[in-house]
Amino acid sequence: MSHHNRIRSTNITVYLLATILFLLTAGLIFARFYWGGNTVQMEDGLKLWRVTTVIDLKGNGDRARVRFTLPSNTNRQKIYNEIAHNSDMVFYTRDRESTGNRIGFWNSEFLEGPRTIKYFFSVQPKALKYPLPPTMRLPSNPLNYYPEELHKWLKPSRKIQSNNSEVRRILAKVRGFNRDLLTVNRKLFEFVRDEVAYRTEIGSKDTLATIEELSADCGGQARLFVALSRAAGIPSRLVGGIILKDEIKKETHVWAENYLNGQWIPFDVVNGYYAEVPAHYLELYRADYSLIAYSGMERLSWFFAIRPERIPPIDQAWSLYVLPLHFQSLVQTMLLIPIGILVVSFMRIVIGVKTFGTFTPVLIALGLRQVTLWPGLLMLLGIVLFGWLFRCVLDRLKMLIIPRLSIVITLVIMFIIGMMMLGFHLGQLNFMYVSLFPIIIITWIIERFSISQIEDGFFSAVKDLFGTVFVSVAAYYVLEIPFLRSLLFSFPETLLAVIAAQLILGRYTWMRVLELFRFGALYFRDQPPVGGEA
Amino acid sequence: MNRPGAGTRSSLSSFFRNVLTINRRNVCYTLTANERRLYPIVDCKLLTKKTLAPHKIPMPETYCEITNIFEARHVWETEEHDEFVVKPARGSQGHGIMIITGREGDSWRTVNGEVLSQQDFEYYLYNILSGLYSLGGMDDKVYLEYLVKPHPLFKPVSYRGIPDIRVVLYQGIPVMSMLRLPTKRSRGKANLHQGAVGAGIELLTGKTSGGVCGNSVIDLHPDTRQPIAGIVIPFWEQIIGYAMKVADIIELGYFGIDFVIDVERGPLMLELNARPGLAIQIANRRGLRSRLEYVDSLKIKTRPDFDQRREMMGRL
Repeated sequence: MSHHNRIRSTNITVYLLATILFLLTAGLIFARFYWGGNTVQMEDGLKLWRVTTVIDLKGNGDRARVRFTLPSNTNRQKIYNEIAHNSDMVFYTRDRESTGNRIGFWNSEFLEGPRTIKYFFSVQPKALKYPLPPTMRLPSNPLNYYPEELHKWLKPSRKIQSNNSEVRRILAKVRGFNRDLLTVNRKLFEFVRDEVAYRTEIGSKDTLATIEELSADCGGQARLFVALSRAAGIPSRLVGGIILKDEIKKETHVWAENYLNGQWIPFDVVNGYYAEVPAHYLELYRADYSLIAYSGMERLSWFFAIRPERIPPIDQAWSLYVLPLHFQSLVQTMLLIPIGILVVSFMRIVIGVKTFGTFTPVLIALGLRQVTLWPGLLMLLGIVLFGWLFRCVLDRLKMLIIPRLSIVITLVIMFIIGMMMLGFHLGQLNFMYVSLFPIIIITWIIERFSISQIEDGFFSAVKDLFGTVFVSVAAYYVLEIPFLRSLLFSFPETLLAVIAAQLILGRYTWMRVLELFRFGALYFRDQPPVGGEA
Repeated sequence: MNRPGAGTRSSLSSFFRNVLTINRRNVCYTLTANERRLYPIVDCKLLTKKTLAPHKIPMPETYCEITNIFEARHVWETEEHDEFVVKPARGSQGHGIMIITGREGDSWRTVNGEVLSQQDFEYYLYNILSGLYSLGGMDDKVYLEYLVKPHPLFKPVSYRGIPDIRVVLYQGIPVMSMLRLPTKRSRGKANLHQGAVGAGIELLTGKTSGGVCGNSVIDLHPDTRQPIAGIVIPFWEQIIGYAMKVADIIELGYFGIDFVIDVERGPLMLELNARPGLAIQIANRRGLRSRLEYVDSLKIKTRPDFDQRREMMGRL
């Protein structure tokens, strides 16, 4: 086979392979759409909802912390496609044993300026009517009758003052001589439903204020019902959640659950649901708990954007959404690395920008995502300049290479820690982020810069340094595209398309853009024919 | 006959069809025409020398090889030559080469006039041995070599250092050649990207045409102000002959070969390069791509004899 044909047949193989990979990617994405939500059927009358919780906050340079209750799977609601955009705050979840609540925490040791946390999930809730259990007499001593773990639902709490004399007086009046569990429960429900007027208000009332004014929103009414139930010897607790409707809102809803003869049964006095929950109720937490709590920031606001889910949730075993929430951001970052390298390949092969090392720009770009662009670049150039000056001094001492590199690494670490200390004392806490840069990579840049400066001159070294910075910034901007992150996370098969793109770049034979300048002089020369007279 | 690149229009399309770019060199020539197994022979200059020694290719004599740092002291104490070149075996682009021109008391003097103490010398060797200049940063070897005394013909057009001649061969046929002349800016080195002057050589006659320095076209040497064009390279026929012979011994499809001309020993082969640079096109003011495609169009199965190759070369 001749040389020319050999190149052609290799090219055909490569392009064929790339086409197969592109088609495979498209096919896999299509398959996810088409068969993606097969296990979640749109049951009759049931809706799937997509809830986006947006938390806007503004830090004032302190240690900040946000706590938010996350929904769990229960017998009447199933959560899918959960994902959190953490705005570079540390995110983790904790399960509370006593209540079964799942709490998400966002922390930052130093929070400056505005941030937006987004937490998405899809939910399929269904209506559930609870058959009432056979009735029984109210136990005369409930603390002896019910097991230990239910005691906290019998005792008064801060806003549910069930041992208050006023509560006992109302209980006595409503209950009369009845000692039948279901009858008493029904009478308490009807009392709160009929006697307490509904009024929206800012901040929720406690039990006593509700009794005093006989008007309250869902919180006050539910607390009164819970307090009366507890006073009557029925384990009772609040349930918090959201009423799902196609809208953007801030309001949450609170109702109650009573433990009747062996099971927890829901009661919503405000909307009159007796032993049932309608399909549009989303449960978020149990107990008298606040949905959101925060500390160490200037302000915080949140809202829920709720809409019916149009694409069925991706709940196959091979969807990345099944991963535990706090591992998801790690996977997101990993998925970005091949994209960053694709940017570097493009810059080197198509544009022709020279860089120190192939993967250096990607690691720098990932560092810049943490530190943000301009402060990050200034810090980077600062460290390289500092390291280079010391590297020049070390060069005079005629040292062996490994100890010399080690000293440069140590100096870089000292410089970084020094900058952090300086930043702390100057009150410039964003200096702290300098520690997030890859130290070994920076040391290598210093070494390459120094050698390039000695061998090819300062100008050439600076040119390559700026090439490295330029490609890093390009990679940074590409990695910052939110769509790309969502696309890769939802459809990690996109990486096959990235491989296909690299295959094509691997057989790219056209002129690099910067070669136009290099060979430009040849353009103005006549090129005599080749293979003339034999 | 298929004549790629035919036509003298200086249009954009003929520009693109004539110039060989880095990407095309890598994909279509170095990756396709050069067998990977031959690279170690080319990348290590000591191995190149050992491979070519039995074939009567003239090369500068190797004085000694250094593999371990403890040998450096021994070399310092016992080296009897006053003039020699220190080279990393796996260096590229002329990095790490040092020319020693004489003794000065306890020290050695380099071509740039620097004075080298024993400590400096050992440090320098250590850097080379630990891979500072080698391809991929691998451990390296150092060797000391005969210092070429450049042919007086080149005296007016070189600043210190030693001019060398680069011939690029494809399928055993010389396709382009240039003379590289050291300048003040290149600090006596003959590498174009370090500031040396490159002058194209006509393949048939061995006569230089105009030159290039950096990105500008020049007619006079920037330091000596002497004309660069019109120098007839001595021993040109021999040089082309050696180049083709080397191409048949080390069966690389596409490579560059560097020669120097010593005043006493004539042409000496210095080293091979499996990924020769592309600046040779600027020095010749000609694109390489059309020439390579012409050689492809000849559909050579077995390499023809030297005379036939010279004839093919003449048609380029």
